[in-house]
Amino acid sequence: MHSVLQGLWPGRGSRVRPPTSIGAQGAPRRDLPPSGGTYLKANEASQVSDRYMDIVSTNIDTMSTSNSTVIEAQGLYKSFEEIKAVQDLSFAIPAGKVLGLLGPNGAGKTTAVKMLTTLLPIDQGSASIAGFDVAERPEAVRRVIGLAGQSAAVDEKLTPRENLELFSWLYKIPRKERRARIEGLIDRFDMTEFADRPVAKCSGGQRRRLDVVAALVAQPQALFLDEPTTGLDPRSRSELWDAVQALAAEGTAILLTSQYLEEADRLSDHVIVLDKGREVAAGSPEALKKRMGQDVLEIHVSSEDDRSTAVGAVTESAVMTSVAGSQQLDINVEGGAAQSLQLLRRIDDAGVSIVDFQLRRPTLDDVFLALTGAPTSDSGVTPS
Amino acid sequence: MTGIAESDKAQLPTHQGTDLAGGLRGAVSDTMAMLWRDSVRTLRQPEMLVFAVVMGVFFLVLFNYVFGGSIGAGAQIDYLQFLVPGVLVITALQGAQQTSLGLAADLSEGVTDRFRSLPMSQVAVIAGRTLADAARNLAGLILVALVAFLMGYRFTSFLGAIAAIALATGVGFAFSWLGAAIAVKVRQPDMVGMLSMFWLFPLMLASTAFAPADSMPGWLQPFAKYQPISVASDAVRELANGSGVDSSLFLTLGWVVALLALFVPMSVALYRKVI
Ligand SMILES: Nc1ncnc2c1ncn2[C@@H]1O[C@H](COP(=O)(O)OP(=O)(O)OP(=O)(O)O)[C@@H](O)[C@H]1O
Ligand SMILES: [Mg+2]
Repeated sequence: MHSVLQGLWPGRGSRVRPPTSIGAQGAPRRDLPPSGGTYLKANEASQVSDRYMDIVSTNIDTMSTSNSTVIEAQGLYKSFEEIKAVQDLSFAIPAGKVLGLLGPNGAGKTTAVKMLTTLLPIDQGSASIAGFDVAERPEAVRRVIGLAGQSAAVDEKLTPRENLELFSWLYKIPRKERRARIEGLIDRFDMTEFADRPVAKCSGGQRRRLDVVAALVAQPQALFLDEPTTGLDPRSRSELWDAVQALAAEGTAILLTSQYLEEADRLSDHVIVLDKGREVAAGSPEALKKRMGQDVLEIHVSSEDDRSTAVGAVTESAVMTSVAGSQQLDINVEGGAAQSLQLLRRIDDAGVSIVDFQLRRPTLDDVFLALTGAPTSDSGVTPS
Repeated sequence: MTGIAESDKAQLPTHQGTDLAGGLRGAVSDTMAMLWRDSVRTLRQPEMLVFAVVMGVFFLVLFNYVFGGSIGAGAQIDYLQFLVPGVLVITALQGAQQTSLGLAADLSEGVTDRFRSLPMSQVAVIAGRTLADAARNLAGLILVALVAFLMGYRFTSFLGAIAAIALATGVGFAFSWLGAAIAVKVRQPDMVGMLSMFWLFPLMLASTAFAPADSMPGWLQPFAKYQPISVASDAVRELANGSGVDSSLFLTLGWVVALLALFVPMSVALYRKVI
């Protein structure tokens, strides 16, 4: 029997890409990870065995084709007393694809991840990872997942290298292989500088990086990253983005949560937007962006009366969202500065005194406003 | 730091958990891993060990020089010879309280979430901790015994010393599982600290560790004679002072088995229960 551990890491080489038909639910990736460099070495491709096929052939209860779904959720529900944290969440992530779970604080992202990773019992619905039912075969599920939770789950008193040693020991990675694999990871994720310093003395971003790397020691088929880039500096963030893309290209199915549209856009093949536990939108990032693609001109006025006057003044010529009772208008502008000036002038002409305005890229809140017509739970009305 | 010395037969990750032998091998390997981890933590943070030794020495000095005269004279015994074995048991008991505190702190750390998402035996999280604490306890007991030696205490034989310290370590290990069960149930470290007073002090003070049972009020004597710390103190005393073993050794072993039989499954069950 083939061990899934036989692939060397790093330089496991390029994996056989899953058939492109899998991309049905998302556009094919535009930007593949840098090849040649650290991740993909063409000359090593031949020694690679398809670890998914190994699993498939040794477990009867797994999906039967290479077009298989690795992470699957069907009608998941979870409540904490009266709080409905997750309601009727369903999705399927094939090998090599990234699903972005997007939503504001309290949307239920972490709860969903915890249910899928056996950390929280599922109230209703079912989930499976690599064909193993999460509720019935938690042990089997834990063998094929990697998790980087929202709060760093590493030992503070140990060094990063010791942490990785501990986790690979617990994953039952043969002792002979551990050293090479850990060194490979430390190298690949640029951790040499702080690899031998107790985690308590590492910076928040370094800790975060270790946490993500710890999820990779066993080369999981399914990777869960809960807000992985929170607290990372721009360089580490973009390195992590590259790594996520590389892992997906190697065939890992990835569930990623984020509060940032930009991040989900960059990494995901498919995005689900959650609010208060419910799916409020789903689709490819392109599709979502199309609905929310323009810049937003955000105008603040000094009274509700002014707000309705302003709305009246521009309502003919622009798409906008403005919550009744607030003193704010968000207008979608396609024409950039010129159109903005025109709109501002028109509002000014109507006798409204503009307190403040800015032209900005759409945020997650704008997506919410556009998708649901209501502000997210905690954005709400700008106080006067 | 290269700490991994134990050989472990690697399992294939696709290995089915229903295979009992494989499961057991996995549990042993996991426990060794956790033992390694907890030992590294102990060495990096020796405060607990220092505290245990200081407490032991504190009891030795306090009871010997402050109360020793009156207790010893009343019971007509060489008080230091009486006291030291009792202090060894009390030191081991303190170590068990530290298991409780340490595990509670551990469980409130983020790494616990990772352990719960790993394909590991969950018993190992607690077993690794109690074993590492037993090792720490052993070191503490040896240091306390050395201080006792400097104060004039004498074991009758080397073998007796080894047997006495081993028995005290075993008693501490059994109580570590009681501490673990409380820690797993209660979780909040400060609550655990408070709760441990409730079992620690009665067992410690209403025992024959510091004074013979005859010197206690009549209504307390049945408890004071047969509670685990008393029989353990008596048994360790017999081993250390070479006065021949009697029923207290078997009572002690009985308590150890009973405590383990109750609290090993209990703490594991409590730990498995997801919050
Ligand atoms: N253990 C718990 N007990 C009670 N309520 C909980 C628990 N965990 C989460 N909740 C509640 O469930 C809801 C969803 O929480 P969750 O952590 O999944 O949100 P999230 O999308 O991850 O938010 P964030 O972006 O802040 O991480 C919130 O209202 C939260 O207060
Ligand atoms: Mg969260």
